[in-house]
Amino acid sequence: MDALIQKADALQPKQKKRKTFHNPTHESVKKHTAIPKSLQLNGLEVEAPQHKHIANKKLRAELTRNATHTARTKALLQDAELLLTEDAGLMQTEGALERTWRVPQTEIEEGAGQDAARGRREWKLDGGPYRSRYTRNGRHLAIVGSNGHASTFDWQTGTLHAELQLQETCRDITFLHDHSHFAVAQKKYVFIYDRDGVELHCLKAHIEPTRLEFLPYHWLLASIGNAGYLKYQDTSTGQLLVEHRTKFGACSAMTQNLHNAVIHLGHQNGCVTLWTPNLPHPAVQLLAHLGPVASVSVDASTGGRYMATAGRDSTVKVWDCRNWKGAVREWSARGGAAEVEWSGRGALAVASGGSVNVYTAPTIQQPMIGNTQPPLYLTHPIPHRPLVSLRFAPFQDVLTIGHAAGLSSILVPGVGEPNFDSTEADPFENRKARREKEVKALLDKIQPDMIMLDPELIGSLAPPPKLSTTTTFDGKPPQAIPFARLPRLDRLRVQGKADETEVVDPDDTAPDGRKLAPEEKERKKMRGKGKSLKRFLRKQRKNVIDPTAVAIRAKLEKQREERKVRAKDGPPRKASALDRFASG
Amino acid sequence: MKIKVLQHDPAVHLPQRPGDPTPTSRNLDPLMHPFARARERTRALNAAKMDRMFAKPFIDSLEGHVDAVEVMAKQPGSLTTVASGSWDGGMIVHHLARRSRLLHVPQAHKGKVSGICFSREGCLFSCGVDRTVKLWNFESSQGENPQPAAVFTGKSAFNFIDHHNSDPLFATASNLVQIWDETKSLPVSNLTFPTSTETINSVRFNLSETSVLASIGSDRTFTLYDIRTGKAERRVVMQMSSNALSWSPTFPTTVLLASEDHNLYTFDIRHLATPTQIYKGHVAAVMACDWAPTGLEFVSGGWDRTVRIWSEGRGHSPEVYHTKRMQRVSSALFTSDARFVLSGSDDGNVRIWKAKAAERLGIVTARERAAIEYRESLKDRWKMDSEVGRVVRSRHIPRPVYQASKLKRTMLEAQRVKEERRRKHTRAGEDKPKAERKKLVVVEQM
Repeated sequence: MDALIQKADALQPKQKKRKTFHNPTHESVKKHTAIPKSLQLNGLEVEAPQHKHIANKKLRAELTRNATHTARTKALLQDAELLLTEDAGLMQTEGALERTWRVPQTEIEEGAGQDAARGRREWKLDGGPYRSRYTRNGRHLAIVGSNGHASTFDWQTGTLHAELQLQETCRDITFLHDHSHFAVAQKKYVFIYDRDGVELHCLKAHIEPTRLEFLPYHWLLASIGNAGYLKYQDTSTGQLLVEHRTKFGACSAMTQNLHNAVIHLGHQNGCVTLWTPNLPHPAVQLLAHLGPVASVSVDASTGGRYMATAGRDSTVKVWDCRNWKGAVREWSARGGAAEVEWSGRGALAVASGGSVNVYTAPTIQQPMIGNTQPPLYLTHPIPHRPLVSLRFAPFQDVLTIGHAAGLSSILVPGVGEPNFDSTEADPFENRKARREKEVKALLDKIQPDMIMLDPELIGSLAPPPKLSTTTTFDGKPPQAIPFARLPRLDRLRVQGKADETEVVDPDDTAPDGRKLAPEEKERKKMRGKGKSLKRFLRKQRKNVIDPTAVAIRAKLEKQREERKVRAKDGPPRKASALDRFASG
Repeated sequence: MKIKVLQHDPAVHLPQRPGDPTPTSRNLDPLMHPFARARERTRALNAAKMDRMFAKPFIDSLEGHVDAVEVMAKQPGSLTTVASGSWDGGMIVHHLARRSRLLHVPQAHKGKVSGICFSREGCLFSCGVDRTVKLWNFESSQGENPQPAAVFTGKSAFNFIDHHNSDPLFATASNLVQIWDETKSLPVSNLTFPTSTETINSVRFNLSETSVLASIGSDRTFTLYDIRTGKAERRVVMQMSSNALSWSPTFPTTVLLASEDHNLYTFDIRHLATPTQIYKGHVAAVMACDWAPTGLEFVSGGWDRTVRIWSEGRGHSPEVYHTKRMQRVSSALFTSDARFVLSGSDDGNVRIWKAKAAERLGIVTARERAAIEYRESLKDRWKMDSEVGRVVRSRHIPRPVYQASKLKRTMLEAQRVKEERRRKHTRAGEDKPKAERKKLVVVEQM
């Protein structure tokens, strides 16, 4: 009863619901064709170029669709920051008098979590200064001592993969595509071992190697040796791709730019050279130091924009790879030759003398007058000289230093990239994932001839075709004429075969400097006067300096001077018979 | 001093229980993905190469005809039933999936079987040059020597037959177009253009405007009729005669003509003065054409012994199918599921081809499907790259076809140059170049 009364008293809406247009076909189809709400692009209206200047309708529609798609992808990418779940490490001062570089490792160890504290290690090993190398996912570490002790292991769990006593001088070690293979630069040749330490290959083409680099996306093992030959070996096909003679002698500083796979070499004469497999000469060569270059490193966190070099003249220099005119910043490192290394987030570690110094990103690249070193972030003394290798562990706040008495890993908060991408490098990958990644990487192997300084060149707009030209007829829009329909002279010009070197004839200008019209020029021409000389000159290329040409040019100049003098005196008077009686 | 050192929690990155999928983490920062473009290009190149590697379009050849296959027809509403008729008068109804014969008539007609069509009810009509149209109930008539259910006799040899989409009517092409009722023995009406004396080669009902039909004739004509008014509505005369025509199943106004001049043309019947698109590719006369049921593709077969598959609106570089033993193709069909293409040729075989050369038959899992779609989009995205584009575009064609196309190109180029020179030496403005599309139609008659 109550409900009935309530219903009777209820306020009815004043107006009926607005009648909407009802389309039965639309309604019947809508249920089955609608995109799910989560995938609808509501509120993602993007500004994309409209290509209104293109006359062809189909092409215009296609271009507009592509541009919209690209713009929308970019907009959606901004949301992808949600995927970054982990935070980077940090070390912050709280008082004005505190300095981060005063914090010793013991204090950092106390502040770190239990897992992170495991990064602080000391490996006391005999057999000379040690070099080390991490895999791309930062999970495995390969070390080699100069007396021939080589070992690879998972440094987080402490699982040893291989341990070898090679009984000869070893100069460098590197993992290949993952921890299942590694290469050692030994006394005479490069050897490749598998994960268990079984020798697989002896690369006899690489003689007396000093440094090794592996280009993961191209599957190339690059080596430089005492003879100064840079050699690339394709590890997927086994073929020695190319060897470049550097002509700089023995070389012991080598690094790669991760973003364009260019190899940077530092030489004995202070030069740093950049190499690609398809160029027989360096792509860039610069004089970086006064003494030999001791170490080179490229900053991966800025897309390979900055390079740091250290020389035996005990200076450290930071270079901008887009503009080689002088270093961005340079300072002197105490204790002679230094080792440099960039971390994943752009911190620079410099090991010189008996200590390792770490500098952080923005100040390293800021240009500064005078040779002041950037503000120090962290320093750590190591008594075992020499310090020969520095490696940051990828995706960790760990720096591994190789020195005479083994290796020591220290914690450097805030230098490691916190968020890894499983498709590129995954520290937690299992066996199946590793194998799958190996196959995928082989399928995606980039051809070595595509290595160039600018990796963005691939897929960019092609240059306009050479064999056609655009012309415009009486106000109509310009249109491309195919090569076959061009007149002969234009065809030659397009091919670059037309002789367009014009010798500017000084006689073509009137005395007052204005250019003469062709018929005017024609009228004044004196037949045969000096023409053969000029023709001879025209035949000579301008940039060729030939004694005869110089002489003829001087003669012409003299004649011109005389003519000028005569022109100043007024037009030449007609010779008269009485002239012979004139005095003087 | 505030100190925090980066550590990854294994609980987040490792599977919780054995058997769980491993959690993945993504970082879309472009710096984390060096060589993204170069790797994608490599993937696109691999996709293009794989596509060519798996391009094995030929499925099977259905034998049984003694002489050349002249016509083929598919049954509307059926994916598998296809009838073919040959020059010796034999007729076979094939079951495509089982590759078996539903009906085999060794002597359906005296002389060649010139036309075959199905009605909606599943009856089969065939016509021949022996001046008869025969109606077959192929589901009931089995045995050694099946007999037709009905015979319609005409006055002259029939060249083609087509059935009305819904009514019990069919049209035949002889020296005129005749409309027949299934229940009557004489034609119900004769359709002809008033002044025409030609032989009609082919006639087809429109698929949605069912009372409109079109025919092509030996006088290089294309004629439109309406059976409601009972007369020819309009007619165009072209430079060369056409061999086959086909109405688009999705655009009712679009009609496709296979022409003797090696080209195919689509016309919008509202504007018959110019074709909407010219499809160039064959190097000899095109003998047959048929639309895919999607209306996005069509197939053509020609005197150059190739079958070509075109996408609508793209007048060049079709997919080309050929084999060593396939002779001149006189009939071609798209099956009703748009996945297969049939060709009937002079060697007496009906061949089954895939419509997409590299397509995999059989069940495709969701992961495979995703990979295929990714590869397709990669190819599309990188088609402008010179190497990828070259692999995508290149087709192996038989040497005679290749030589013929080269010769044809040379001849056309010479013609163009000659025309240009002639124009250069005529008074300015007197002789203007004519667009290729406007050259085709000679006259349009109402």
